[in-house]
Amino acid sequence: MIRRRWTRSRLAEAVAKGLMIASFVVVTGSLGLILWTVIVRGLPALTWDMISQSPKGGYYMGKAGGVLNAIIGSLYLAGGGTLLALIVGLPMALYLETYLGDSEWGRYVRLSLDVLWGIPSIVYGAFGFTLMLAIGLRASLLAGIIVLALLELPIMVRAMDEVIRLMPLDLEQAALALGSTKLEVALRVVTRQMLPGIVTAILLGFGRGIGDAASVLFTAGYTDRIPTSLLRPTASLPLAVFFQLATPYPAVQERGYASALILTIIVLIISLGSRLISGRLNRYTIK
Amino acid sequence: MGDQEKAFGIKGLDKREDRPKGRPSVAVRLKQDQNARRAFSIIAVLPVFLIAIITVALVVRAWPIIGTHTLKDTVFGVVWKPEQGSFGFWPFITGTAWVTAVAMLLAILPCLLVSLYLSEYAHSAMRSAAKPVLDLLAAIPPVVYGVWGLLAIVPFVQNTLEPFSKRWLKGIPILAVNQPTGFGILAGGIVLAVMVAPFIISVLYEIFSTVPDDLRHASLAVGATRWQTIRNVVIPKVLPGIVAGIVLGASRALGETIAVLMVVGNVVKVPTSVFDAAYPLPALIANNYGDMMSIPLYDAALLGAALVLLVVILIFNVISTLVLQRLLGRRWT
Amino acid sequence: MWTKTSLLFSISIAFSLLLSACGGAAVSPQGQAPAAGTDQLNGTITVSGAFALYPMMTVWADEFTKLHPAVQFDVQGGGAGKGMTDTLAGAVDIGMISRTIKPAEEAQGAFWIAVAKDAVFPIVSAKNPMLAELTAKGMSQETFKKIFVTGEIKTWGQVIGKPEATDEIHVYTRSDSCGAADQWALFSGGKAQADLLGIGVNGEPALVDTVGKDPLGIGYSNLNSVFDSSTGKTVPGAVVPPMDINGNGTVEANEYYQTTDEAVKVVADGTYPSPPARFENLATKGKPKGIVLAFLNWILTDGQQSLEQAGYVKLTAAQQAESLAKLK
Repeated sequence: MIRRRWTRSRLAEAVAKGLMIASFVVVTGSLGLILWTVIVRGLPALTWDMISQSPKGGYYMGKAGGVLNAIIGSLYLAGGGTLLALIVGLPMALYLETYLGDSEWGRYVRLSLDVLWGIPSIVYGAFGFTLMLAIGLRASLLAGIIVLALLELPIMVRAMDEVIRLMPLDLEQAALALGSTKLEVALRVVTRQMLPGIVTAILLGFGRGIGDAASVLFTAGYTDRIPTSLLRPTASLPLAVFFQLATPYPAVQERGYASALILTIIVLIISLGSRLISGRLNRYTIK
Repeated sequence: MGDQEKAFGIKGLDKREDRPKGRPSVAVRLKQDQNARRAFSIIAVLPVFLIAIITVALVVRAWPIIGTHTLKDTVFGVVWKPEQGSFGFWPFITGTAWVTAVAMLLAILPCLLVSLYLSEYAHSAMRSAAKPVLDLLAAIPPVVYGVWGLLAIVPFVQNTLEPFSKRWLKGIPILAVNQPTGFGILAGGIVLAVMVAPFIISVLYEIFSTVPDDLRHASLAVGATRWQTIRNVVIPKVLPGIVAGIVLGASRALGETIAVLMVVGNVVKVPTSVFDAAYPLPALIANNYGDMMSIPLYDAALLGAALVLLVVILIFNVISTLVLQRLLGRRWT
Repeated sequence: MWTKTSLLFSISIAFSLLLSACGGAAVSPQGQAPAAGTDQLNGTITVSGAFALYPMMTVWADEFTKLHPAVQFDVQGGGAGKGMTDTLAGAVDIGMISRTIKPAEEAQGAFWIAVAKDAVFPIVSAKNPMLAELTAKGMSQETFKKIFVTGEIKTWGQVIGKPEATDEIHVYTRSDSCGAADQWALFSGGKAQADLLGIGVNGEPALVDTVGKDPLGIGYSNLNSVFDSSTGKTVPGAVVPPMDINGNGTVEANEYYQTTDEAVKVVADGTYPSPPARFENLATKGKPKGIVLAFLNWILTDGQQSLEQAGYVKLTAAQQAESLAKLK
């Protein structure tokens, strides 16, 4: 009897383990599948023209041009949004940790940040749209930057907060013992210590911002030219992909796939880059 | 009296020689600290008010339709004809519910298994290999997921799954194939499942990590297999956390717009089968924002849809976040 | 801290490089310098509106800029509704409207001219089992009404008059809000897009693709989605069923369209009914002046040459004159 129970539970274990490994393969395999699909369909249409030219007349019917407008537009949008989010988020994270700590307000703020993190980008886009109407701003680079900053803020603050919390308390206390004000501790000691964290947060936010379509749909507009002013609409890569796929011309659809590939490559570079950089910058932190 | 003396009321402070040149005095530094404190405190409590501001803004914009249409006509109404003033959201609400449900049903078991594997079985080499994979999956932009869905999943549904269901699963109404395009709830659910998987896996992994190893060792010591340990010790201990993680994943799935929009078919119809095309709320908002200002009450309707989405997601989020915060003690990545 | 500074330094270098690169690109002239002393047109023209006209507008913008390098364009899509809203709000100079302008819009100051003609054609799959009979018999407006709006005709057998053939008709329509659907609805006896029955497919390419793949499918789409402008024939997989336009029960030569040229001809000379043929309009707030006026004048004269290449239909001489007169 005991022997039978043994084999049954061992069998259950083997089955469970098998299922687990199968699930693991499926999940990791889908990454490969996604990249493979995008590369196979996008690479053939990825020419030098695609990344070095804006759409010329007739681009949407198959003629010459590229998506440089969207590439630059996306870089501006995400760059501006990340910068704005950093300017607001870094003080927020510093204050959260240095002054609020685990107090009641601190918990409220952290809960709010988590909730904000979960709000989908379409709601941010809709909110941005109402904001735009209220202050009379038209669909423009600026509007897109503001909405992206809102979107990226919770992500970046969370990431920075995580890193600040890991900071050894001794450092802060040593600085205070030497006579620093809390502000100086924040600006000189904490920022330096969490530099890898700040960079990670920046890259995380940037990666999120550059890939998002729903929020810029309402707010950034679209144009075939490279943006030269904050108050003009701007193209973005996700929307470029979307619009090119919606045309009836197979040649243009292929270019849509190539644009998706460009976007994926940018995001991959950022993702891998953030690992490398934070590894390097760890040299300057005190463990 | 110099400012040092003023600040501390001790004579002779300003004449001290050992203060480094160019360094502001203590009083100045203290003043800076105070100012920064005030400025930063305003910034820091912004998140709390931001949620309120977003909600209020959407309510204000959606008010015209809330005032003039009954709940029966809007939330439960089935007729969507904006030019004629009918704004029945029910097809969109059910569309959203179906796609999310399919996505979660597809995702829960594999995500649970993978996170259990990573937390209970895998050695650290495997874990460090899995982390970049999951991070990359999470970083891929939604529009690229949509392209993948278009190129790989829709044909798969159309050419493999639909004929299969037509031939072998004919009697089951929920699997009835009513339209042959491959765009539909199932395609949307598959893409969505892959999109939320990395998130759910990392949350569940964090949750399982909170279970003290002693418990596991105790269970193994009395002769249980690892799987029995998982079933009888680990999982029951953190069951609320698992549920919270899944609910959080569902709220992410609810809000995903672009990827789903590209494969779900976008047809205004209350779904009856997973192979039906559907029109989730986010897709409704995204597809029609251009017409918003040209049809009366359309903007109120669409922003009202955004409001509904926001409220549901807020409820899911707040509850599961509270549960998870309590379990994890700190927050999760 | 030198890494922080070097990081900031490299970021600012990259940014300024980017700025100068794009600044250069935006300012560099397109085409040759204009003949000395003839060109005084400069400024920016902003356009938004229907996706149906969008590709054509980008062609026109490009060609106009070649003639007048100091004029720049900003063209957005967003749909006819957005175009009208933006124009009336003064957010853009020109709105692309792929439908007739409503009186309410004119009352708010909308001024419009027709600049091109476009048409929606029905499509069926090239693999339709009853294609031969369909081609012989043709499909009348009444038939389309019963398929797309009332739903009385449900099988292909009913269409060709052989009720024993019970192959269902798979009706497809556009699920996204578009002018093509509105036009088709008007032709088929309905009032608007929402009146059309059928499985909604999002986007024109998807609709054509779906109908092509489904032997029993029927749908509709714009001229330049059905007819491939490079081959001059219908896209592989889809055909336009002969339309019994005059309802006499037989298919005449001008009711069966297999090439782009045939289709364009019947739309241009008016044989093809309107709807589903329609005028593509451009709207401005009040009468246009300055560079906008010059641009519109050019579209109605030299600009018409580019239309057919792009799969649109030129205005007839009379229609051109009418639009030009409006502009004076």
